[in-house]
Amino acid sequence: MPKLTIDGMDIEVEPGTSVLQAAERLGIEIPRFCYHDRLSVPANCRMCLVEMERSPKPVASCALQAQDGMVIHTDSEMTHAARKGVMEFLLINHPLDCPICDQGGECDLQDQAMAYGFDRSRYLENKRAVKEKNFGPLIKTFMTRCIHCTRCVRFADEIAGVPELGAPGRSEHMEIGTYVEQAITSELSGNMIDICPVGALTSKPYSFVARPWELRKTDSIDVMDAVGCNIRVDARGGEVMRVLPRLHEDVNEEWVSDKTRFAFDGLRKRRLDRPYVREAGTDGGRGRLHEASWPEAFAAIAQRLEGVAGNEIAAIAGDLADVEAMTALKDLMTSLGSANLDCRQDGALLAGPRGGYLFNSGIAGIEQADAILIVGANPRWEASLVNARIRKRWLNQAYYGPVKIGRIGDAADLTYRVDHLGSDPAALQAVLDGSSPFSQVLRDAKQPMIILGMGALARPDGTAILDCARRVAEAYGMVRDATEDEPAWNGFNVLHTAAARVGGLDIGFLPGEGGRDIRDILIGTRGGEIKVVWLLGADEIAAAHFGDAFVIYQGHHGDAGAHRADVILPGAAYTEKAATYVNTEGRVQRARMAVFPPGDAREDWKILRAFSEVIGKRLPYDSLAAVRSRMAEINPVFAREDIQEAGAWGVFGSEGALDAVPFASSIDNFYQTDPISRASDTMAQCVAEILDQAQAAE
Amino acid sequence: MEILWNDYLWPTIVIAFFTVVVIVVVLMAVAYTTYYERKVMGAMQLRQGPMTVGPFGLLQPFADGLKLFAKETIIPSGSNRVVFLLAPMLTFFLSLVAWAVIPFDQGWVLADVNIGILYLLAISSMGVYGIVMAGWASNSRYAFLGGLRSAAQMVSYEVSMGFVVVSVLLCVGSLNLSDIVMAQSGSWGFLNWYFIPLFPMFVVFFISALAENNRLPFDLPEGESELAGGFMVEYSSATYAMFFLGEYANMLLMSAMLVILFLGGWLAPFPFLEFIPGVFWFFLKIAVVLFVYIWVRATFPRFRYDQLMRIGWKIFLPFTLFWVVLTAGVLVAFDWLPGSA
Amino acid sequence: MAFIDRAARSLFLTELLSGMGLTLKYLFRPKVTLNYPYEKGPLSPRFRGEHALRRYPNGEERCIACKLCEAICPAQAITIEAEPREDGSRRTTRYDIDMTKCIYCGLCQEACPVDAIVEGPNFEYATETREELFYNKDKLLENGDRWEAQIAANIAADAPYR
Repeated sequence: MPKLTIDGMDIEVEPGTSVLQAAERLGIEIPRFCYHDRLSVPANCRMCLVEMERSPKPVASCALQAQDGMVIHTDSEMTHAARKGVMEFLLINHPLDCPICDQGGECDLQDQAMAYGFDRSRYLENKRAVKEKNFGPLIKTFMTRCIHCTRCVRFADEIAGVPELGAPGRSEHMEIGTYVEQAITSELSGNMIDICPVGALTSKPYSFVARPWELRKTDSIDVMDAVGCNIRVDARGGEVMRVLPRLHEDVNEEWVSDKTRFAFDGLRKRRLDRPYVREAGTDGGRGRLHEASWPEAFAAIAQRLEGVAGNEIAAIAGDLADVEAMTALKDLMTSLGSANLDCRQDGALLAGPRGGYLFNSGIAGIEQADAILIVGANPRWEASLVNARIRKRWLNQAYYGPVKIGRIGDAADLTYRVDHLGSDPAALQAVLDGSSPFSQVLRDAKQPMIILGMGALARPDGTAILDCARRVAEAYGMVRDATEDEPAWNGFNVLHTAAARVGGLDIGFLPGEGGRDIRDILIGTRGGEIKVVWLLGADEIAAAHFGDAFVIYQGHHGDAGAHRADVILPGAAYTEKAATYVNTEGRVQRARMAVFPPGDAREDWKILRAFSEVIGKRLPYDSLAAVRSRMAEINPVFAREDIQEAGAWGVFGSEGALDAVPFASSIDNFYQTDPISRASDTMAQCVAEILDQAQAAE
Repeated sequence: MEILWNDYLWPTIVIAFFTVVVIVVVLMAVAYTTYYERKVMGAMQLRQGPMTVGPFGLLQPFADGLKLFAKETIIPSGSNRVVFLLAPMLTFFLSLVAWAVIPFDQGWVLADVNIGILYLLAISSMGVYGIVMAGWASNSRYAFLGGLRSAAQMVSYEVSMGFVVVSVLLCVGSLNLSDIVMAQSGSWGFLNWYFIPLFPMFVVFFISALAENNRLPFDLPEGESELAGGFMVEYSSATYAMFFLGEYANMLLMSAMLVILFLGGWLAPFPFLEFIPGVFWFFLKIAVVLFVYIWVRATFPRFRYDQLMRIGWKIFLPFTLFWVVLTAGVLVAFDWLPGSA
Repeated sequence: MAFIDRAARSLFLTELLSGMGLTLKYLFRPKVTLNYPYEKGPLSPRFRGEHALRRYPNGEERCIACKLCEAICPAQAITIEAEPREDGSRRTTRYDIDMTKCIYCGLCQEACPVDAIVEGPNFEYATETREELFYNKDKLLENGDRWEAQIAANIAADAPYR
């Protein structure tokens, strides 16, 4: 363990730690541009120069490994002179266009020029100008501003796994760019905007519209996938202006996917901002929806519910529903005598012990796995940050040890090397039988892991595949309790795609005693046995399934559900309410209200609470705290925020014949998976430019 | 019929005509007094005064008058309407009535009564009623306080004014105003006027006149800074205008009295200037006195109420009393009493 | 002796007369009145009057929507909205100044990196309604066009002191 002295303070660090990291641990800030915690170290910006005793020149602290006996000065005259000189060189070609630069106000170069730079220029020569590059619909480039830190190049190579960026040319002619002109095809490309220390890469949808100081920042949770990324919602007035990642080492590190970052403009389009009631149509047909007040909408529902038996009513929760709303709807349905509840609108009939539907190892647990079997999932599209974590594990084999990754499903580029074991359930059966080549890998592995995607579960034989996967997990020791030698390990992982799903399963938004599940509910509506259906933001079910049933749609976008609805109750989107979401790991996280819902729209649990009063079955909670204590009463996990642990293990799934149909990912269009991203112009542009470009290349 | 015409109707018509002439002259004089005041005050404060309406702002008084009469008359809901409206009328009426006995020149007088000076004292002391009525009828604390102050102030200063007049009367031996003026005539011009022998009385009369007219520095009944306008606080438009006219007419009246009692009325200051009509001298002298009125206003701040009362009762009253005795004593001692010579 | 002196003073009203002497003296002094609509006082080049948005000589508006004036405005009188113009340059779509909020501190023109927003020499812009004082971008640009010559001269005059 090397011991060194920085600014007169002694510190002992692990071998391999750089001087910059050691200084950071002491709370000493060393300015830097190219160095980034999660990227490799090129040491090309030279901003982090420090003085080291017995060294004739200043040294780059980011690339210098701490050695025993080093004496470093970060506040000496030499260091200051070095920084000032480096800054002056960096600014030779950097344009003075901070006033029109979107990075202005949150720019590393701006801040550090203020802190360490010189207050005037000594150069009269013309500045270099570089042509703008086309990086696709998300990233706007101002390459003249680039200081060649290469963070974006390293991000593309290392984190995103799309080696599309580089720095052709040398010296004065060096330019960052794609080798051939193309949009960057990464689903994580937006993060380059964050890591760019200057305004060379900025957000295209956000360009020129706002300044960081006028934004109201709200910490929240993303719902575009089931990862539950920690995000910060920046709003101005009543409008969300951008979404940025928030650091959470165990979930999203400091990245978010492009859908999370850019789909928010869908929050301004196709919004339901007032209740609607469908008129009685002529000759038995369905009439037009017309605007109504809340009391009118409630009265219309109450009137329709009169004389309808409990078992003729059903409720389906969608993929973006928050746990509060599902709790209220569940209690409302119970009070109406209905047990026909389901939150699994894609038909993946998960239930039972918690261990049977969680990503038990946790996303951070991927870093410990040494064999990973991916079944029926395309993590790159279904959960980009899980995929980034698998890639991180795969890249760092030198550090974590070797890893083997097998995959059963369609062929897809996951950005790391995968052994393709087959594409249909038979391959899974083969793994279980031991006849697959991957069986030996799993047998040898210390921390084996299976990742089961929705593509494998949302099938008619989903429960049989679940049963098969459970057997694989048990057969290869993926689930074991802690022993004296090693901690407990649970490598059975279900990769959800819907943000609401685990919360719904945890709160028990499932068929009750004698109730119908999603398939039976739809059979019931088609057959006329179910007369009233309450959709809580459920938009993924074709309108034909509802037959003649009276459909109440509660949600925030005019998507599929709202088109079929007989009464529309406008709810709040995830940025507009204080809500609880449980991610695929079973981590309970709270989103906060960043802006108010538009028009007459209200928070969803409040709508249900208000309606319960209208029909005389008042729900027993008046405040958010009361709803949350009711949630904790139903399932104690809701009392504990931000905790991830493996769920209880037990028997789940059911034996049955496996179909021969090949697995397909549940997502065929990464950019448009839910009502918000479907309403988003930016996402539509991504589909047009990135997906089509990729298809054209194939 | 002839008798009726010659002895009654024709004189009535003539008197009515002259009355109207006097009223018009007085009101015109009032109008231009305001202009005069604003110009002189402006000049003393390094300003120009009114100068946009008409040449040199000469039409300003009419613009102001028009504005005042065009405005809405506001009658406070809690006021006594009859008294409220009566008060400005009374003030205005009284300020005009007094002019009946003022001689503008030899024989130029509407009513050459023998007790002219008594009449003037009576009328001017009735002026307080208008103000007290206004103060009471407005049903406002400010107005009421203003009314009270006015009553006390006018009563206080009328006492010493009375003594001043007595001392003049002792010298003249007549209550007729024309006689008073003629008593000051003589070959020495202005040296014959009473302001020289009775100079202290002249000063006291002038100061008391300021107080009697509620002029600065004795404008406590109005007291803008403390009573927000005093007895006039609730008045607007025509009613306010009547108060305003009445006040300025009273100011002119007091100046006229001062001119008659001490400055030789219509007499020319030097014998060789006697060819100029007396009425010119009379108005010139009034203008000079008014200038001093304005000059005082531009110079001094307002007195405190206790100071006002102290000056009235503790200084002027004993002083004028003493001076009346002194005058009488001197007249008797030297046998200068009028009529005894 | 002092008593006699004091008594004499108050008896002869010397203080009052000397005061009146002073006002009489002022009566003959030259007047300082400016006959306003016809005569106007001199204005400093730094005078901070009505706001204007300037243009470059080629007609291009100067404002680049950096929002520094909005940020620095202590009265929060400025509201700016921006987006890329068709040619891709950064421009405002809305530039409002609430002249009833403005305190005429001049910080906006100090903050402006391109001398776009300036407080010009005009101070005669009274309006009959409150709404007319909510200036929008069109009004401000029009002001700029009208006063450009004088504004440019003022900036040039003040330049040596900056």
